[in-house]
Amino acid sequence: MEQAVELDEKINGVLADVLGVPLAVITDDLAMRDVGAWDSLKHMELILSLEETFGLQLSFDEIVNMQNVGNIRQTLERRAKS
Amino acid sequence: MSAILGKPLNGGRRAEVDLAGKKVIVTGGVRGLGRSIVDQLISKGASVTVLDRDTSGLKTLSKEKAHVACFECDVSNYEQVAQTTTRYHECFGAADILINNAGILYSEPLISITAAGAKIHDPAMWNRVLANDLSSVFYVTACIVEKMITTRTRGVIVNISSVSAAGIPGASAYSAAKAGVNALTASWAKELSPLGIRVVAVAPGFTDTDSTKAAVTETALRETINRVPLRRLGQPDEIAEGVLFVLQNDYFNGKVLELDGGLVI
Repeated sequence: MEQAVELDEKINGVLADVLGVPLAVITDDLAMRDVGAWDSLKHMELILSLEETFGLQLSFDEIVNMQNVGNIRQTLERRAKS
Repeated sequence: MSAILGKPLNGGRRAEVDLAGKKVIVTGGVRGLGRSIVDQLISKGASVTVLDRDTSGLKTLSKEKAHVACFECDVSNYEQVAQTTTRYHECFGAADILINNAGILYSEPLISITAAGAKIHDPAMWNRVLANDLSSVFYVTACIVEKMITTRTRGVIVNISSVSAAGIPGASAYSAAKAGVNALTASWAKELSPLGIRVVAVAPGFTDTDSTKAAVTETALRETINRVPLRRLGQPDEIAEGVLFVLQNDYFNGKVLELDGGLVI
């Protein structure tokens, strides 16, 4: 449970930092289409920042799928368990 | 040393890039500068593939260098580039390095004054030079980088530019194309470097190749040599050594290495 909270906090921190959005608006429903700054270049910056934070390399399919916060969270949770 | 200096961002210095075993594509690698680049890459142990439209030249190259993979391709034609790079990826997977060397030299004044009057630069030749020297770079890079990104391959793109990018009289199309190549180099370095793909350019001055001699009259070539402080043409091997340098130095990025004997100072 503690680990899940820590993971969420880390993800939210990266999202807020890279996308320039307040922590309060970050929910699982928040998607690329909702954030003007979240274009394809910003998406790669976000992916690289997540990879650095969590010390992993994501596959291209995972990157393509991570277009909303819920999918980002699920992907990183799955990778944390594997 | 401050904490931030003591802990370099993004991992700090990386070792010189070892070319042994690297999968390298050279466009226009059959003759001239391209061939010198191919030979030097082979000497470093790289696994080289050549894309060229010169059918007989490819046959000769594959006889001389049996381990060089040869694909016939006109890189100014997007459909051919897409088909050829798909075949390449099926055979070898993602490339590590792409060297965009193919191109044509062409000189013609914007307006030629002839006995018959004023003649405008041939628009068909303008389009042909832009297709061969600029669009080709875009086509091949797009197809190769897509695979690099989808396989998370860290790669290097080397664009062969020219000091003509600064503008030389009588070569509007060639100069514009090479200036475009420099702009692509800078744009792609900014766009792709965060993904681990470096993009650089090497800009030769006048080089001792058959294509230079074919494109420039002997008188014009002699005058050009006189403007080079070193008073000679560059040798293809010297330019190829510059290509190896930008490949091996992992901190060279987004920039153009000019190798012109001091022609542009």
